[in-house]
This record gives sequence, structure tokens and C-alpha cells, in this order.
Amino acid sequence: MNLWVYTFRRLLYVIPVLLGVCLIIYLLFNVVAGDPTHILLGKHATAKQMAELRHELGLDRHWFMQYLDLVKSAFTFDFGRSWSTKQLISSMISEGAIPSLTLTVPGFFISTICAVSLSLLVSFYRGGLFDKFTILICISLMSIPSLAYILFGQYFFAYKLGMFEISGYDFGFPHFIPYIQLPVLIWITLTIGPDLRFYRTVVLDEVYQDYVRTARAKGLGEKLILFKHVLKNAMIPIVTYVVIQIPFLILGALLIESFFGIPGLGGITLNAINSSDFPVIRAMTILSAVAYIIFGVITDILYTVVDPRVRLN
Amino acid sequence: MSQKILEVKDLVVEFNTDRGKITAVNGVTFDVHKGRSIGIVGESGSGKSVSALAIMRLIPNPPGRIAGGTIKFNGENLPDIQMDEMRRVRGNKIAMIFQEPMTSLNPVFTVGNQIEEVLELHQTELSPKERKEKTIDMLRLVGIPSPEQRVKEYPHQLSGGMRQRVMIAIALSCEPDILIADEPTTALDVTIQAQILELMNKLQRELGMGIIMITHDLGVVAETCDEVAVMYCGQIVERADVDTLFKYPKHPYTKGLMESIPAFDSTSGKKKEKLTTIEGMVPSLFDLPAGCNFYNRCVSASDRCRESEPKLSPVEGSHEVSCFNPLSL
Ligand SMILES: Nc1ncnc2c1ncn2[C@@H]1O[C@H](COP(=O)(O)OP(=O)(O)OP(=O)(O)O)[C@@H](O)[C@H]1O
Ligand SMILES: [Mg+2]
Repeated sequence: MNLWVYTFRRLLYVIPVLLGVCLIIYLLFNVVAGDPTHILLGKHATAKQMAELRHELGLDRHWFMQYLDLVKSAFTFDFGRSWSTKQLISSMISEGAIPSLTLTVPGFFISTICAVSLSLLVSFYRGGLFDKFTILICISLMSIPSLAYILFGQYFFAYKLGMFEISGYDFGFPHFIPYIQLPVLIWITLTIGPDLRFYRTVVLDEVYQDYVRTARAKGLGEKLILFKHVLKNAMIPIVTYVVIQIPFLILGALLIESFFGIPGLGGITLNAINSSDFPVIRAMTILSAVAYIIFGVITDILYTVVDPRVRLN
Repeated sequence: MSQKILEVKDLVVEFNTDRGKITAVNGVTFDVHKGRSIGIVGESGSGKSVSALAIMRLIPNPPGRIAGGTIKFNGENLPDIQMDEMRRVRGNKIAMIFQEPMTSLNPVFTVGNQIEEVLELHQTELSPKERKEKTIDMLRLVGIPSPEQRVKEYPHQLSGGMRQRVMIAIALSCEPDILIADEPTTALDVTIQAQILELMNKLQRELGMGIIMITHDLGVVAETCDEVAVMYCGQIVERADVDTLFKYPKHPYTKGLMESIPAFDSTSGKKKEKLTTIEGMVPSLFDLPAGCNFYNRCVSASDRCRESEPKLSPVEGSHEVSCFNPLSL
């Protein structure tokens, strides 16, 4: 079967999944979360005020129509307006996506490349001092809470040494660069420990496979074995792990954004949660679900490229 | 007598394990001759694979290491040479095929790619086009139908028998002097087994390499080998040419092995009705007895066997046995 046909068929599967996910989101927000008019009007609202508001928000319509609206928004990205700022949610998202992505994409990129190359290096010297030392550093990095890095970074590197901006953001290239340096650095520090440990396990899993022994018996050198034979096999789990993380990048880095005053999607979500801004929270939920589903499809397609054993039917 | 091409002498291989040091191969000595096959037989754990891996210097280190002995090849002692020199021997002068055809090939490269790789490494004089042609020739040589198609396929598209043929093609593509085959047919079903063994016999006649055939199956030895070494607990307990060994086994263990294979009777040569097994357990390598390792399972053991260890010594011509009470005819 052709790759395009496969992709098309895989995309067809997305439709029922998306409908199901939308149903769950609808139930979460409209049944589990209760009546939002109380939140909006406070305790002392009259029944008439509440009925008017319900009509205004479209909550008095048939549940199925409301569900359809939700499904429609997953395709059109038209999520209506925020309750608290009255802004169009779609433009809030597209505005917030830029600062988030300028922070998370470089962080993710650098961290992944460093972790994958280090994992190969560490596997090359497996069991040795370098390997043990790297693992020790990884575990130390992981055992410090992320807040500590943020506060220490801001206080020491930004405030004391003046190497970076303490907080803030400026739109447009290259104005944002000074503002994202420290956040990106902290992002890398936070993610490289678990990443490296994961990639190391993946590579070491491959290093003891029989085909590696065959490669040695053929007379190949260790470097060639590692970078050709082992890496290509390790790519299968690596690709999954990498692609699975991408939806999170879109959602931004909640903690880092709020501490560095970066007006990204993480911050928008946090504000929406604080002010019970249901439409915004719902929009972010739908957005992440859609991102998850799409990148799931991408993972499956990449599999067929990196692993010849995955048949296309 | 034909030309000696590999001399293994007093080989010792040790492993450091959680429970202490074990000597998996303990003073093994044998030669490989040009155009001839030596079979190494023995039960699981007797040190057959470890001996073979030691020749290739593929013992995983840590935990293992070659702790003694020499492996002379082309006037050099393999354990002593530089690693890059060893890499020019591997796959080129001495090639090896393994017991597990299902996992020994790399799943993400095509069969053709994996054969070409070894040619690229050792036969640098070949142009890419010549390499491709030779790859197809090799597949044809090992009896893979429509090799032009098969080169483009991945290991998972081939059956176990076909994969083992590919392994043989990889091993033979640089016309090695020695082929080490570590239980090449154990994982395959019986008809495929016979085909692979027949193929190896045929290729040996054509290419004239020496073969080390590792197996736990005396039937395989009878079909393919000129000479046999029987291993037990890391040592060779009996060695002879095939006919002598099958006719006049001297070591009680060898005799026991023969009586435990179905279609063979060491005395009459007829198919047997009754199968016998060797009673008792192989002693643990952590806790070998002071005397003969086979003492606890031996039918003809005497007091001497409990106290002192027999050494491999000649009985008749090139027939050697390590036993105080060798079987008489
Ligand atoms: N990597 C290793 N670490 C520790 N011990 C090992 C290792 N490899 C082999 N051994 C030990 O060496 C001994 C001999 O093993 P070997 O693989 O040579 O047996 P074998 O004769 O090939 O058996 P089989 O028929 O099962 O392949 C075994 O007792 C095993 O426990
Ligand atoms: Mg073995």
C-alpha cells in the first residue's frame, strides 16, 4: 500500500476519535462542571437574570446542538469569546502561541539533540566512569524542583550577574531573544535529565541485541556500529518519545511562562483557570486534544518510514 | 595431513559474575585444518559458544575475558593483536554465523545492504556496482531464489531458513579461511536443517575453508564433520576423527551422548528402540568437583576419579580421551 493511501486512511480514523473526545469534553464542561451562570453572576442573581444569561450563552439550546458547536470549533478553531476579557479566543491563542513557541521550540530542539547525542556517547562508554558520572548528574538535575531553578536563575544569573533579562517579553524577531535565553536554559536543564536517561535506556537496549554481535563479527568498528546499526534501530522509540512531546510545546510552559512574565499560552491557561473562564479552558482542552490526535497520526506515519517491519496495511 | 590454519591451545575464558568467578572454558586445545571440519559437541553450558566467541574476540568484556592460552592464526596470536587488526580478521579471514537467525540480522537494513557492508569493509577494491553484483551472486550461491528481488527485502520478509542462508552469504562473501558456525541449524525445522547443512558441505568443497561446527547434535556432526571434540564443563573430554569416535567412543560421556540420540546405536548402527539419558546433573561451574567433572554421572567411575582430575591424553593415534577408565571395545 502506498504511503498516501495509508495517511488518508489513518486520517479517517481521526474522525471517530475526535467525535468521542469532543463528547467527553462536552460532558466535562456541561455536566460535571455544573451551571456556569452561578460563577458569572455571583450568589445574588435573580432567576430572570440567570435565564437571560443562559440564553445569551446558548446554554438553553438542545444539548446536541451545543455538542455540535463544540465539534465544529475543533475544526474551525472558532471558540467564541472569553468571559473575562471578551476577546476572541482564537486571536488570544494565536497571539499567545508565538511567545510560547519561541520559548519551547528552541528549548525542546536543543535539549533533544543534546540528549540523543549524549546518550550515544554514554552508551559508547557504558559502564565506565563517564557513563556513571553522566547518570549521576542526570539524577541530581532531576531531583531539584523546577521552581528552584527558576528562582536561582532569576536571582543569580539575571539579577546578580546581569547576564539575562529577569522577565518580560518583546514581540518580533530578534527582540524576543534576550527574554527567552534564561527560560530556554532552564527548560533544557529541566528536560535533559529525564530525556537523557530515557534515550540511554533505549540505546543500551539495542547495544546488547544479536545484530550488534553480527556487526562486530563482520569486522565493523564500534563507532560505525553505534551510529549506523544501533541508532537506526533506536530511532523507533526515539521518534515516538519526541513526537509525543510536541503537543505540550504548543501548550507552552506553564510555570516558566508565569514566572518570567511571558504572555504565552501557558499563562493564558493559568489565568483562565484562576478566573473560571470556561470558554478559554475549553478551547485549550480542545486544542490540546486535537494536537495530540494529529501528532499521533504523525508518529504512525513516521513509524512506517523508520521501521520497515511496520507494514502499510 | 592437510594444512593447519588455526591452533587453539590451552584456551581459558573466565567470567566475573555476581556469585563469583567462573571458568567457562578451561584449557581447550584444538586445531582447524584447511578444507576440513571440526565439530564441537556438548550439552548446553559446556562452553562451546564461549570458545568460538573467544576466537573472534567477541567475549563480552566485562564480565568475560580470555584468561589464558593462545589462538594462533597466520603466525599471530589473536588475543594479542591490536583491535583494528582483529577487525580485519573478523568477517574477512574468520567469519561466524550464529544460532539465532531470527535476530542476528539487523531488522532495519535490507539484506543486500548487510551483505554489501562487509564487502565494502574488506574488499575495498570492488566498485559499488561490482559490490551489488557480488551481493546478488552470494545470495544465488547460498540458494536463495530470485536474488535480484531478495536483495531489496528486509529480514522480516524472509523465513528463518532464508535468514540463515543470508547469514551464510554474509560470512562467506569475503572467502574466509575459517567459518565458525555456532549451532547454525538449531533454531530451524528439520528439513531446513538438512538443507542448510548440505549447503555448508557443498560450499566447503567449493571454497575450501576450514569449519568449526558447534552443535549439541551428534547427528549434525556425523553429517558434516571430519573430526570431533566433545566438551564437558568447559573442557574437551574426548577428541577423535568422526569415524573413530562413532565406532569406538572411549569416554563414558561420549557414549552417553550417542545413546541419547534417537536414530543411532553406537554398537549396531541400527535404529534403537530404547532411548537412554545420562543420569544426574551437570555440576555447576561455581562448584566443580575436585576430581573428574563427570564423576557424579559416570557409570564406570572409580575412587581415583573422585580424587584426581584426568588429563586429555592419546589412546590410539590421534584419538584422545580424558578418562582414567576409558571404555574398551
Ligand atoms: N556473558 C556471560 N556472563 C556470564 N557467564 C557467561 C556469559 N556467557 C556465557 N557464560 C557462561 O559460560 C558457560 C558456557 O556458556 P556457552 O554459551 O559457551 O555454552 P554452550 O556450550 O554454547 O551452550 P548452548 O548449547 O546452550 O549454546 C555457561 O555456563 C554460561 O553461564
Ligand atoms: Mg551456545
